[in-house]
Amino acid sequence: MSKVLLAALPVPLRLLLAMVVLILVCLLALSTGSVPISMAGLFGLAPLDEMQSTVLWQLRFPRLLLSLLAGSGLALCGALLQNASRNPLADPYLFGIVSGAALGATIATIVVPEWQLLTPLFAFFGALLAVFLVLIIGASSRWQRLESLLLCGVAVSFMLSAITTTLLYLSEPFAANRVMFWLMGSLSQASLTHVALISPLVFITLLLGLLYRRQLDALVLSDESARSLGVNVQPLRLIILLLCAAVSAAIVACCGGIAFVGLMIPHLVRSLFGLSSVALLLGSVWLGAVFLVGVDTLSRSVLPDQELPIGVVTSAIGSLFFLSMLFKYRRG
Amino acid sequence: MGQTPVVEFLQVQLLINQQQILTGLNFAIEPGQFVALLGPNGAGKTSLLRLLQKEYQPSSGQIKLQGQPISTFSQSELAAKVALVSQLSGPLFDLTVADVVLMGLIPHKALWQTNTEQDLQQLKQSLELVGLANKERHSFAHLSGGEQQRVLLARAVMQKPLLLLLDEPTNHLDLYYQHQVLRIAKALNITVIASIHDLNLASRYGDRLLLLNQGQLVADGTAEQVLTQELLTEVFRIPCLIDQNPFGDCPRVSFGYKDSV
Repeated sequence: MSKVLLAALPVPLRLLLAMVVLILVCLLALSTGSVPISMAGLFGLAPLDEMQSTVLWQLRFPRLLLSLLAGSGLALCGALLQNASRNPLADPYLFGIVSGAALGATIATIVVPEWQLLTPLFAFFGALLAVFLVLIIGASSRWQRLESLLLCGVAVSFMLSAITTTLLYLSEPFAANRVMFWLMGSLSQASLTHVALISPLVFITLLLGLLYRRQLDALVLSDESARSLGVNVQPLRLIILLLCAAVSAAIVACCGGIAFVGLMIPHLVRSLFGLSSVALLLGSVWLGAVFLVGVDTLSRSVLPDQELPIGVVTSAIGSLFFLSMLFKYRRG
Repeated sequence: MGQTPVVEFLQVQLLINQQQILTGLNFAIEPGQFVALLGPNGAGKTSLLRLLQKEYQPSSGQIKLQGQPISTFSQSELAAKVALVSQLSGPLFDLTVADVVLMGLIPHKALWQTNTEQDLQQLKQSLELVGLANKERHSFAHLSGGEQQRVLLARAVMQKPLLLLLDEPTNHLDLYYQHQVLRIAKALNITVIASIHDLNLASRYGDRLLLLNQGQLVADGTAEQVLTQELLTEVFRIPCLIDQNPFGDCPRVSFGYKDSV
Protein backbone atom coordinates (compact mmCIF):
# COMPACT_ATOMS: atom_id res chain seq x y z
CA MET A 1 0.00 0.00 0.00
CA SER A 2 2.62 2.52 1.10
CA LYS A 3 4.77 1.48 -1.83
CA VAL A 4 1.95 2.12 -4.27
CA LEU A 5 1.28 5.55 -2.79
CA LEU A 6 4.91 6.63 -2.78
CA ALA A 7 5.60 5.23 -6.22
CA ALA A 8 2.64 7.18 -7.58
CA LEU A 9 4.26 10.46 -6.55
CA PRO A 10 6.60 12.08 -9.07
CA VAL A 11 10.28 11.98 -8.09
CA PRO A 12 10.71 15.70 -7.26
CA LEU A 13 7.69 15.57 -4.98
CA ARG A 14 9.05 12.47 -3.26
CA LEU A 15 12.39 14.20 -2.68
CA LEU A 16 10.62 17.26 -1.37
CA LEU A 17 8.55 15.14 1.00
CA ALA A 18 11.70 13.38 2.20
CA MET A 19 13.44 16.70 2.86
CA VAL A 20 10.44 18.07 4.76
CA VAL A 21 10.28 14.98 6.98
CA LEU A 22 14.03 15.18 7.65
CA ILE A 23 13.89 18.88 8.54
CA LEU A 24 10.89 18.38 10.83
CA VAL A 25 12.62 15.56 12.71
CA CYS A 26 15.77 17.67 13.08
CA LEU A 27 13.80 20.66 14.43
CA LEU A 28 12.02 18.37 16.87
CA ALA A 29 15.36 16.96 18.02
CA LEU A 30 16.82 20.42 18.56
CA SER A 31 13.83 21.70 20.52
CA THR A 32 13.10 18.64 22.69
CA GLY A 33 14.86 17.78 25.95
CA SER A 34 15.24 18.73 29.58
CA VAL A 35 15.79 22.33 28.50
CA PRO A 36 12.99 22.99 25.99
CA ILE A 37 13.69 25.44 23.19
CA SER A 38 10.79 26.90 21.21
CA MET A 39 10.63 26.80 17.43
CA ALA A 40 10.73 30.58 17.45
CA GLY A 41 13.93 30.36 19.45
CA LEU A 42 15.44 27.93 16.95
CA PHE A 43 14.73 30.30 14.09
CA GLY A 44 16.13 33.29 16.00
CA LEU A 45 12.70 34.89 16.28
CA ALA A 46 12.70 34.72 20.06
CA PRO A 47 15.69 35.39 22.30
CA LEU A 48 17.44 32.41 23.90
CA ASP A 49 18.81 32.64 27.42
CA GLU A 50 22.41 31.67 28.06
CA MET A 51 21.52 28.16 29.19
CA GLN A 52 19.40 27.51 26.12
CA SER A 53 22.07 28.87 23.83
CA THR A 54 24.77 26.65 25.40
CA VAL A 55 22.53 23.57 25.27
CA LEU A 56 21.60 24.26 21.68
CA TRP A 57 25.07 24.89 20.28
CA GLN A 58 27.31 22.85 22.58
CA LEU A 59 25.11 19.80 23.09
CA ARG A 60 22.16 19.39 20.77
CA PHE A 61 23.67 20.60 17.55
CA PRO A 62 26.74 18.26 17.54
CA ARG A 63 24.49 15.49 18.79
CA LEU A 64 22.05 16.07 15.95
CA LEU A 65 24.86 15.99 13.37
CA LEU A 66 26.31 12.83 14.89
CA SER A 67 22.95 11.04 14.95
CA LEU A 68 22.29 12.07 11.34
CA LEU A 69 25.65 10.68 10.31
CA ALA A 70 25.55 7.55 12.43
CA GLY A 71 22.04 6.69 11.24
CA SER A 72 22.84 7.21 7.57
CA GLY A 73 26.22 5.50 7.88
CA LEU A 74 24.89 2.35 9.54
CA ALA A 75 21.94 2.07 7.15
CA LEU A 76 24.20 2.68 4.14
CA CYS A 77 26.61 -0.05 5.26
CA GLY A 78 23.73 -2.44 5.85
CA ALA A 79 22.35 -1.80 2.37
CA LEU A 80 25.76 -2.20 0.70
CA LEU A 81 26.65 -5.35 2.62
CA GLN A 82 23.26 -6.95 2.02
CA ASN A 83 23.45 -6.39 -1.72
CA ALA A 84 27.13 -7.27 -2.03
CA SER A 85 26.72 -10.49 -0.07
CA ARG A 86 23.21 -11.23 -1.38
CA ASN A 87 22.24 -11.89 2.21
CA PRO A 88 19.23 -10.06 3.64
CA LEU A 89 20.57 -10.54 7.16
CA ALA A 90 24.00 -9.05 6.52
CA ASP A 91 24.81 -5.94 8.49
CA PRO A 92 27.98 -4.37 9.86
CA TYR A 93 27.61 -6.40 13.05
CA LEU A 94 27.73 -9.73 11.27
CA PHE A 95 31.38 -9.24 10.41
CA GLY A 96 32.50 -9.00 14.03
CA ILE A 97 32.80 -5.23 13.95
CA VAL A 98 30.99 -4.64 17.22
CA SER A 99 32.66 -7.44 19.14
CA GLY A 100 36.01 -6.10 17.91
CA ALA A 101 35.09 -2.61 19.06
CA ALA A 102 33.95 -4.02 22.42
CA LEU A 103 37.26 -5.79 22.88
CA GLY A 104 39.13 -2.59 22.04
CA ALA A 105 37.02 -0.61 24.51
CA THR A 106 37.50 -3.28 27.17
CA ILE A 107 41.26 -3.25 26.77
CA ALA A 108 41.28 0.54 26.96
CA THR A 109 39.12 0.53 30.10
CA ILE A 110 40.94 -2.25 31.94
CA VAL A 111 44.51 -2.19 30.81
CA VAL A 112 45.06 1.53 30.44
CA PRO A 113 42.28 3.15 32.52
CA GLU A 114 44.30 6.37 32.68
CA TRP A 115 43.74 6.74 28.90
CA GLN A 116 39.96 7.04 29.19
CA LEU A 117 39.80 9.48 26.31
CA LEU A 118 41.35 6.96 23.99
CA THR A 119 38.51 4.43 24.33
CA PRO A 120 37.01 5.33 20.92
CA LEU A 121 40.40 4.94 19.29
CA PHE A 122 40.90 1.51 20.85
CA ALA A 123 37.37 0.57 19.82
CA PHE A 124 38.07 1.69 16.28
CA PHE A 125 41.18 -0.45 15.98
CA GLY A 126 39.41 -3.36 17.67
CA ALA A 127 36.71 -3.22 15.00
CA LEU A 128 39.28 -3.05 12.21
CA LEU A 129 41.13 -5.98 13.79
CA ALA A 130 37.93 -8.01 13.65
CA VAL A 131 37.42 -7.30 9.96
CA PHE A 132 41.03 -8.14 9.11
CA LEU A 133 40.72 -11.40 11.04
CA VAL A 134 37.58 -12.22 9.05
CA LEU A 135 39.35 -11.44 5.78
CA ILE A 136 42.53 -13.35 6.66
CA ILE A 137 40.72 -16.46 7.86
CA GLY A 138 38.31 -16.14 4.96
CA ALA A 139 41.16 -15.78 2.47
CA SER A 140 42.80 -18.98 3.65
CA SER A 141 39.55 -20.89 3.28
CA ARG A 142 38.50 -20.02 -0.26
CA TRP A 143 37.09 -16.62 0.65
CA GLN A 144 35.62 -16.36 -2.81
CA ARG A 145 32.68 -18.15 -1.32
CA LEU A 146 30.23 -15.82 0.32
CA GLU A 147 29.00 -18.25 2.91
CA SER A 148 32.48 -18.90 4.23
CA LEU A 149 33.03 -15.16 4.65
CA LEU A 150 29.83 -14.81 6.67
CA LEU A 151 30.69 -17.87 8.77
CA CYS A 152 34.12 -16.36 9.46
CA GLY A 153 32.35 -13.20 10.65
CA VAL A 154 30.25 -15.18 13.09
CA ALA A 155 33.26 -17.18 14.32
CA VAL A 156 35.45 -14.10 14.81
CA SER A 157 32.56 -12.37 16.55
CA PHE A 158 32.22 -15.16 19.11
CA MET A 159 35.96 -15.50 19.59
CA LEU A 160 36.43 -11.79 20.33
CA SER A 161 33.37 -11.75 22.61
CA ALA A 162 34.85 -14.65 24.55
CA ILE A 163 38.10 -12.73 25.06
CA THR A 164 36.15 -9.62 26.09
CA THR A 165 34.04 -11.57 28.58
CA THR A 166 37.14 -13.22 30.07
CA LEU A 167 38.86 -9.86 30.49
CA LEU A 168 35.76 -8.37 32.12
CA TYR A 169 35.37 -11.41 34.38
CA LEU A 170 38.93 -11.02 35.62
CA SER A 171 38.69 -7.25 36.06
CA GLU A 172 37.09 -5.08 38.71
CA PRO A 173 33.28 -4.69 38.54
CA PHE A 174 33.48 -0.95 37.95
CA ALA A 175 35.37 -1.43 34.69
CA ALA A 176 32.84 -4.04 33.57
CA ASN A 177 30.07 -1.54 34.25
CA ARG A 178 31.70 1.11 32.14
CA VAL A 179 32.15 -1.23 29.20
CA MET A 180 28.55 -2.40 29.52
CA PHE A 181 27.28 1.16 29.40
CA TRP A 182 29.48 1.96 26.45
CA LEU A 183 28.15 -1.07 24.59
CA MET A 184 24.55 0.02 25.08
CA GLY A 185 25.28 2.93 22.81
CA SER A 186 24.93 6.62 23.43
CA LEU A 187 25.19 9.84 21.50
CA SER A 188 25.69 11.89 24.63
CA GLN A 189 29.43 12.29 24.07
CA ALA A 190 28.84 13.79 20.63
CA SER A 191 31.32 16.41 19.52
CA LEU A 192 32.24 18.07 16.27
CA THR A 193 35.47 16.00 16.29
CA HIS A 194 33.33 12.86 16.00
CA VAL A 195 31.38 14.46 13.19
CA ALA A 196 34.59 15.38 11.39
CA LEU A 197 35.88 11.82 11.76
CA ILE A 198 32.77 10.05 10.49
CA SER A 199 31.47 12.39 7.79
CA PRO A 200 34.24 11.89 5.19
CA LEU A 201 33.96 8.12 5.57
CA VAL A 202 30.19 8.12 5.08
CA PHE A 203 30.46 10.55 2.19
CA ILE A 204 33.13 8.53 0.35
CA THR A 205 31.21 5.30 0.86
CA LEU A 206 28.01 6.82 -0.48
CA LEU A 207 29.80 8.33 -3.45
CA LEU A 208 31.46 5.05 -4.38
CA GLY A 209 28.20 3.20 -3.88
CA LEU A 210 26.46 5.58 -6.30
CA LEU A 211 29.28 5.38 -8.86
CA TYR A 212 29.17 1.60 -8.79
CA ARG A 213 25.34 1.48 -8.82
CA ARG A 214 25.09 -0.65 -11.97
CA GLN A 215 27.76 -3.05 -10.75
CA LEU A 216 25.96 -3.39 -7.41
CA ASP A 217 22.69 -4.13 -9.20
CA ALA A 218 24.47 -6.79 -11.23
CA LEU A 219 25.84 -8.41 -8.07
CA VAL A 220 22.29 -8.87 -6.81
CA LEU A 221 21.51 -11.38 -9.59
CA SER A 222 24.56 -13.64 -9.34
CA ASP A 223 28.35 -13.52 -9.36
CA GLU A 224 28.47 -15.27 -12.71
CA SER A 225 26.04 -12.83 -14.24
CA ALA A 226 27.97 -9.85 -12.84
CA ARG A 227 31.27 -11.21 -14.14
CA SER A 228 29.79 -11.72 -17.59
CA LEU A 229 29.03 -7.99 -17.58
CA GLY A 230 32.66 -7.17 -16.86
CA VAL A 231 32.31 -6.56 -13.13
CA ASN A 232 35.41 -7.47 -11.12
CA VAL A 233 33.37 -9.21 -8.47
CA GLN A 234 35.91 -10.05 -5.76
CA PRO A 235 37.77 -6.70 -5.71
CA LEU A 236 34.46 -4.82 -5.65
CA ARG A 237 33.20 -6.94 -2.77
CA LEU A 238 36.46 -6.46 -0.86
CA ILE A 239 36.34 -2.67 -1.29
CA ILE A 240 32.74 -2.57 -0.08
CA LEU A 241 33.58 -4.70 2.93
CA LEU A 242 36.59 -2.56 3.88
CA LEU A 243 34.72 0.73 3.47
CA CYS A 244 31.75 -0.51 5.48
CA ALA A 245 34.16 -1.77 8.13
CA ALA A 246 35.79 1.65 8.39
CA VAL A 247 32.45 3.48 8.52
CA SER A 248 30.86 1.22 11.09
CA ALA A 249 34.05 1.00 13.16
CA ALA A 250 34.15 4.79 13.34
CA ILE A 251 30.46 4.96 14.27
CA VAL A 252 30.71 2.23 16.89
CA ALA A 253 33.83 3.87 18.32
CA CYS A 254 32.01 7.21 18.73
CA CYS A 255 28.54 6.00 19.69
CA GLY A 256 28.94 2.48 21.08
CA GLY A 257 26.69 -0.35 19.95
CA ILE A 258 23.62 0.78 18.01
CA ALA A 259 22.12 -2.44 16.74
CA PHE A 260 19.49 -3.16 14.10
CA VAL A 261 19.74 0.12 12.16
CA GLY A 262 21.92 -1.43 9.43
CA LEU A 263 19.72 -4.49 9.29
CA MET A 264 16.27 -2.92 9.47
CA ILE A 265 16.47 0.34 7.49
CA PRO A 266 17.45 -1.21 4.10
CA HIS A 267 14.51 -3.63 4.42
CA LEU A 268 12.12 -0.74 4.99
CA VAL A 269 13.66 1.23 2.14
CA ARG A 270 13.25 -1.67 -0.27
CA SER A 271 9.56 -1.86 0.47
CA LEU A 272 9.13 1.92 0.27
CA PHE A 273 11.28 3.02 -2.66
CA GLY A 274 12.19 -0.07 -4.65
CA LEU A 275 15.35 -1.98 -5.09
CA SER A 276 17.70 -0.50 -7.60
CA SER A 277 20.95 0.55 -5.94
CA VAL A 278 20.43 4.30 -6.32
CA ALA A 279 17.02 4.23 -4.64
CA LEU A 280 18.29 1.82 -2.01
CA LEU A 281 21.43 3.77 -1.10
CA LEU A 282 19.89 7.26 -1.07
CA GLY A 283 16.76 5.97 0.65
CA SER A 284 18.83 4.23 3.32
CA VAL A 285 20.89 7.35 3.98
CA TRP A 286 17.70 9.37 4.36
CA LEU A 287 15.68 6.92 6.43
CA GLY A 288 18.67 5.94 8.59
CA ALA A 289 19.19 9.60 9.46
CA VAL A 290 15.49 10.25 10.15
CA PHE A 291 15.23 7.08 12.22
CA LEU A 292 18.25 7.65 14.44
CA VAL A 293 17.50 11.33 15.05
CA GLY A 294 13.93 10.35 15.97
CA VAL A 295 15.03 7.50 18.23
CA ASP A 296 17.62 9.66 19.94
CA THR A 297 15.01 12.34 20.62
CA LEU A 298 12.73 9.65 21.99
CA SER A 299 15.41 8.13 24.22
CA ARG A 300 16.18 11.57 25.64
CA SER A 301 12.59 12.37 26.44
CA VAL A 302 10.69 9.24 27.57
CA LEU A 303 12.16 9.08 31.09
CA PRO A 304 12.15 12.26 33.16
CA ASP A 305 15.70 13.42 33.98
CA GLN A 306 17.26 10.34 32.47
CA GLU A 307 18.33 9.04 29.11
CA LEU A 308 17.61 5.58 27.81
CA PRO A 309 20.64 4.07 26.06
CA ILE A 310 19.93 4.49 22.35
CA GLY A 311 21.13 0.96 21.52
CA VAL A 312 18.42 -0.41 23.82
CA VAL A 313 15.72 1.57 21.99
CA THR A 314 16.93 0.60 18.50
CA SER A 315 17.12 -3.07 19.55
CA ALA A 316 13.60 -2.96 20.95
CA ILE A 317 12.20 -1.30 17.81
CA GLY A 318 14.24 -3.64 15.61
CA SER A 319 12.94 -6.79 17.24
CA LEU A 320 9.35 -5.54 16.99
CA PHE A 321 9.96 -4.69 13.34
CA PHE A 322 11.19 -8.18 12.52
CA LEU A 323 8.34 -9.79 14.40
CA SER A 324 5.87 -7.71 12.41
CA MET A 325 7.60 -8.79 9.18
CA LEU A 326 7.29 -12.39 10.27
CA PHE A 327 3.56 -12.04 10.81
CA LYS A 328 3.19 -10.22 7.51
CA TYR A 329 4.89 -13.10 5.69
CA ARG A 330 2.71 -15.61 7.51
CA ARG A 331 -0.43 -13.84 6.47
CA GLY A 332 0.59 -13.05 2.97
CA MET B 1 35.49 -17.13 -46.63
CA GLY B 2 38.45 -14.92 -45.72
CA GLN B 3 36.67 -13.49 -42.66
CA THR B 4 38.36 -13.67 -39.27
CA PRO B 5 36.56 -16.32 -37.23
CA VAL B 6 34.75 -14.94 -34.17
CA VAL B 7 36.08 -17.74 -32.01
CA GLU B 8 39.00 -20.07 -32.54
CA PHE B 9 39.98 -22.96 -30.29
CA LEU B 10 43.54 -24.13 -30.97
CA GLN B 11 44.44 -27.45 -29.32
CA VAL B 12 42.67 -26.39 -26.14
CA GLN B 13 42.98 -28.56 -23.09
CA LEU B 14 41.45 -27.91 -19.67
CA LEU B 15 42.47 -29.66 -16.49
CA ILE B 16 40.78 -28.97 -13.17
CA ASN B 17 42.38 -30.58 -10.11
CA GLN B 18 44.40 -32.82 -12.42
CA GLN B 19 41.18 -34.03 -14.00
CA GLN B 20 40.84 -33.89 -17.73
CA ILE B 21 37.75 -31.77 -18.44
CA LEU B 22 38.31 -30.83 -22.07
CA THR B 23 40.97 -32.07 -24.44
CA GLY B 24 42.22 -31.48 -27.96
CA LEU B 25 39.56 -28.93 -28.89
CA ASN B 26 40.16 -27.52 -32.33
CA PHE B 27 37.53 -25.52 -34.15
CA ALA B 28 36.70 -22.08 -35.51
CA ILE B 29 33.34 -20.37 -35.55
CA GLU B 30 32.46 -18.00 -38.37
CA PRO B 31 30.53 -14.75 -37.84
CA GLY B 32 26.76 -15.16 -37.69
CA GLN B 33 26.71 -18.88 -37.02
CA PHE B 34 24.23 -20.28 -34.52
CA VAL B 35 26.21 -23.08 -32.89
CA ALA B 36 24.48 -25.65 -30.70
CA LEU B 37 26.71 -27.32 -28.14
CA LEU B 38 25.54 -30.84 -27.37
CA GLY B 39 26.57 -33.67 -25.11
CA PRO B 40 25.54 -35.66 -22.05
CA ASN B 41 26.00 -34.32 -18.51
CA GLY B 42 29.66 -33.86 -17.70
CA ALA B 43 30.70 -33.77 -21.35
CA GLY B 44 32.24 -30.32 -20.83
CA LYS B 45 29.64 -27.99 -22.39
CA THR B 46 29.50 -25.56 -19.50
CA SER B 47 33.29 -25.67 -19.06
CA LEU B 48 33.70 -24.72 -22.70
CA LEU B 49 31.42 -21.71 -22.21
CA ARG B 50 33.34 -20.76 -19.07
CA LEU B 51 36.57 -20.75 -21.05
CA LEU B 52 34.99 -18.14 -23.29
CA GLN B 53 34.11 -16.11 -20.20
CA LYS B 54 37.67 -16.38 -18.87
CA GLU B 55 36.29 -18.02 -15.73
CA TYR B 56 38.67 -20.85 -16.55
CA GLN B 57 42.03 -20.57 -18.29
CA PRO B 58 43.02 -23.30 -20.74
CA SER B 59 45.72 -25.59 -19.33
CA SER B 60 47.28 -25.69 -22.77
CA GLY B 61 46.43 -24.41 -26.23
CA GLN B 62 44.93 -21.06 -27.10
CA ILE B 63 41.54 -19.45 -27.53
CA LYS B 64 41.20 -16.51 -29.87
CA LEU B 65 38.41 -13.98 -30.06
CA GLN B 66 38.34 -12.14 -33.39
CA GLY B 67 41.88 -13.28 -33.99
CA GLN B 68 43.21 -12.00 -30.67
CA PRO B 69 44.18 -14.28 -27.76
CA ILE B 70 41.34 -14.12 -25.24
CA SER B 71 43.89 -13.83 -22.42
CA THR B 72 44.75 -10.31 -23.61
CA PHE B 73 41.21 -9.04 -22.95
CA SER B 74 40.36 -7.49 -19.58
CA GLN B 75 37.13 -8.61 -17.91
CA SER B 76 35.37 -5.49 -19.05
CA GLU B 77 36.78 -5.55 -22.62
CA LEU B 78 35.57 -9.12 -22.84
CA ALA B 79 32.12 -8.14 -21.57
CA ALA B 80 31.85 -5.60 -24.39
CA LYS B 81 32.22 -8.46 -26.88
CA VAL B 82 30.78 -11.55 -25.21
CA ALA B 83 27.40 -11.72 -23.45
CA LEU B 84 26.08 -14.61 -21.38
CA VAL B 85 22.56 -15.76 -20.65
CA SER B 86 22.59 -18.51 -18.07
CA GLN B 87 20.06 -20.16 -15.83
CA LEU B 88 19.04 -18.11 -12.85
CA SER B 89 18.08 -19.21 -9.43
CA GLY B 90 15.46 -16.74 -8.24
CA PRO B 91 17.09 -13.46 -7.24
CA LEU B 92 16.92 -12.64 -3.56
CA PHE B 93 16.26 -8.94 -3.84
CA ASP B 94 13.88 -7.77 -6.46
CA LEU B 95 14.83 -5.43 -9.28
CA THR B 96 12.71 -3.93 -12.02
CA VAL B 97 12.93 -5.25 -15.56
CA ALA B 98 14.53 -1.95 -16.59
CA ASP B 99 17.22 -2.29 -13.89
CA VAL B 100 18.16 -5.72 -15.19
CA VAL B 101 18.21 -4.78 -18.87
CA LEU B 102 20.18 -1.58 -18.25
CA MET B 103 22.93 -3.68 -16.64
CA GLY B 104 23.84 -4.49 -20.21
CA LEU B 105 25.35 -1.00 -20.42
CA ILE B 106 27.99 -1.77 -17.76
CA PRO B 107 30.78 -2.66 -20.22
CA HIS B 108 30.07 0.44 -22.31
CA LYS B 109 29.71 3.10 -19.62
CA ALA B 110 32.18 4.89 -17.38
CA LEU B 111 31.16 4.93 -13.72
CA TRP B 112 29.98 8.54 -13.73
CA GLN B 113 28.01 8.37 -16.99
CA THR B 114 24.26 8.46 -16.61
CA ASN B 115 21.72 6.83 -18.91
CA THR B 116 21.01 8.92 -21.98
CA GLU B 117 17.78 9.30 -23.90
CA GLN B 118 19.31 6.99 -26.49
CA ASP B 119 19.99 4.32 -23.86
CA LEU B 120 16.37 4.41 -22.74
CA GLN B 121 15.26 4.19 -26.37
CA GLN B 122 17.48 1.15 -26.76
CA LEU B 123 15.99 -0.33 -23.59
CA LYS B 124 12.54 -0.06 -25.14
CA GLN B 125 13.72 -1.62 -28.39
CA SER B 126 15.44 -4.52 -26.65
CA LEU B 127 12.31 -5.28 -24.66
CA GLU B 128 10.15 -5.06 -27.78
CA LEU B 129 12.49 -7.46 -29.49
CA VAL B 130 11.93 -10.11 -26.82
CA GLY B 131 8.19 -9.47 -26.71
CA LEU B 132 8.14 -7.66 -23.37
CA ALA B 133 7.29 -4.13 -24.51
CA ASN B 134 6.05 -1.81 -21.75
CA LYS B 135 7.20 -4.08 -18.96
CA GLU B 136 10.07 -1.83 -17.83
CA ARG B 137 8.58 -1.10 -14.42
CA HIS B 138 7.55 -4.69 -13.72
CA SER B 139 9.25 -6.63 -10.99
CA PHE B 140 11.83 -9.04 -12.37
CA ALA B 141 11.35 -11.63 -9.61
CA HIS B 142 7.62 -11.86 -10.23
CA LEU B 143 7.97 -12.72 -13.92
CA SER B 144 7.65 -16.31 -15.09
CA GLY B 145 10.82 -18.26 -15.84
CA GLY B 146 10.35 -17.76 -19.58
CA GLU B 147 9.89 -14.02 -19.17
CA GLN B 148 12.96 -13.76 -16.93
CA GLN B 149 15.00 -15.60 -19.52
CA ARG B 150 13.79 -13.18 -22.19
CA VAL B 151 14.66 -10.19 -19.98
CA LEU B 152 18.18 -11.60 -19.74
CA LEU B 153 18.21 -11.92 -23.51
CA ALA B 154 17.19 -8.26 -23.75
CA ARG B 155 20.06 -7.44 -21.41
CA ALA B 156 22.43 -9.36 -23.66
CA VAL B 157 21.11 -7.38 -26.65
CA MET B 158 21.78 -4.16 -24.74
CA GLN B 159 25.35 -5.37 -24.25
CA LYS B 160 25.78 -5.28 -28.07
CA PRO B 161 27.95 -8.37 -28.10
CA LEU B 162 29.82 -9.93 -30.93
CA LEU B 163 29.21 -13.34 -29.44
CA LEU B 164 26.26 -14.50 -27.38
CA LEU B 165 26.66 -17.48 -25.06
CA LEU B 166 23.53 -19.30 -23.95
CA ASP B 167 24.05 -21.78 -21.12
CA GLU B 168 21.14 -24.21 -21.27
CA PRO B 169 18.71 -21.38 -21.95
CA THR B 170 15.69 -23.62 -22.33
CA ASN B 171 15.94 -25.50 -19.03
CA HIS B 172 12.85 -25.18 -16.83
CA LEU B 173 10.93 -23.51 -19.65
CA ASP B 174 7.74 -24.88 -21.12
CA LEU B 175 7.60 -25.84 -24.79
CA TYR B 176 6.35 -22.49 -25.95
CA TYR B 177 9.15 -20.52 -24.30
CA GLN B 178 11.81 -23.04 -25.31
CA HIS B 179 11.08 -22.17 -28.92
CA GLN B 180 10.52 -18.47 -28.23
CA VAL B 181 13.90 -17.99 -26.56
CA LEU B 182 15.78 -19.74 -29.33
CA ARG B 183 13.82 -17.98 -32.09
CA ILE B 184 14.65 -14.60 -30.58
CA ALA B 185 18.32 -15.53 -30.17
CA LYS B 186 18.43 -16.70 -33.77
CA ALA B 187 16.76 -13.54 -35.03
CA LEU B 188 19.50 -11.39 -33.49
CA ASN B 189 21.77 -12.37 -36.37
CA ILE B 190 24.90 -12.48 -34.25
CA THR B 191 27.20 -15.37 -33.49
CA VAL B 192 25.62 -17.59 -30.84
CA ILE B 193 26.98 -20.58 -28.95
CA ALA B 194 24.18 -22.32 -27.06
CA SER B 195 24.52 -25.40 -24.91
CA ILE B 196 21.30 -27.32 -25.39
CA HIS B 197 20.12 -30.63 -23.98
CA ASP B 198 17.21 -31.08 -26.35
CA LEU B 199 18.64 -32.47 -29.59
CA ASN B 200 15.51 -31.61 -31.56
CA LEU B 201 15.75 -27.95 -30.59
CA ALA B 202 19.42 -28.04 -31.58
CA SER B 203 18.49 -29.66 -34.87
CA ARG B 204 15.80 -27.07 -35.57
CA TYR B 205 17.79 -23.92 -34.67
CA GLY B 206 21.48 -24.77 -34.93
CA ASP B 207 23.36 -23.86 -38.12
CA ARG B 208 26.11 -26.01 -36.80
CA LEU B 209 26.23 -28.61 -34.05
CA LEU B 210 29.20 -29.48 -31.85
CA LEU B 211 28.85 -32.77 -30.02
CA LEU B 212 31.03 -33.23 -26.95
CA ASN B 213 31.63 -36.49 -25.14
CA GLN B 214 33.96 -36.89 -22.16
CA GLY B 215 35.70 -33.62 -22.95
CA GLN B 216 36.32 -34.39 -26.59
CA LEU B 217 34.71 -33.02 -29.71
CA VAL B 218 33.27 -36.14 -31.33
CA ALA B 219 31.27 -34.51 -34.11
CA ASP B 220 31.12 -31.09 -35.74
CA GLY B 221 28.83 -30.16 -38.61
CA THR B 222 25.24 -29.64 -39.71
CA ALA B 223 22.37 -31.41 -37.99
CA GLU B 224 22.32 -34.06 -40.74
CA GLN B 225 26.03 -34.71 -40.25
CA VAL B 226 26.05 -34.81 -36.44
CA LEU B 227 22.71 -36.38 -35.53
CA THR B 228 23.35 -39.92 -36.69
CA GLN B 229 21.94 -43.03 -35.13
CA GLU B 230 25.26 -44.76 -34.36
CA LEU B 231 26.90 -41.70 -32.88
CA LEU B 232 23.99 -40.64 -30.68
CA THR B 233 23.36 -44.17 -29.43
CA GLU B 234 26.99 -44.42 -28.44
CA VAL B 235 27.28 -40.98 -26.82
CA PHE B 236 23.96 -40.90 -24.98
CA ARG B 237 23.86 -44.67 -24.30
CA ILE B 238 20.21 -44.98 -25.28
CA PRO B 239 18.85 -46.55 -28.46
CA CYS B 240 17.85 -43.84 -30.89
CA LEU B 241 16.05 -43.40 -34.18
CA ILE B 242 16.37 -40.56 -36.68
CA ASP B 243 13.69 -39.45 -39.11
CA GLN B 244 12.59 -36.21 -40.71
CA ASN B 245 11.06 -33.41 -38.63
CA PRO B 246 7.67 -32.80 -40.26
CA PHE B 247 7.91 -29.06 -39.48
CA GLY B 248 11.12 -28.40 -41.28
CA ASP B 249 14.01 -29.58 -43.21
CA CYS B 250 15.90 -31.09 -40.32
CA PRO B 251 16.40 -34.44 -38.64
CA ARG B 252 14.23 -35.52 -35.73
CA VAL B 253 15.69 -37.65 -32.96
CA SER B 254 13.70 -40.09 -30.84
CA PHE B 255 15.22 -41.90 -27.90
CA GLY B 256 13.83 -44.83 -25.99
CA TYR B 257 13.52 -48.53 -25.43
CA LYS B 258 11.00 -50.63 -27.27
CA ASP B 259 9.96 -52.68 -24.28
CA SER B 260 7.82 -51.02 -21.64
CA VAL B 261 9.06 -51.25 -18.05
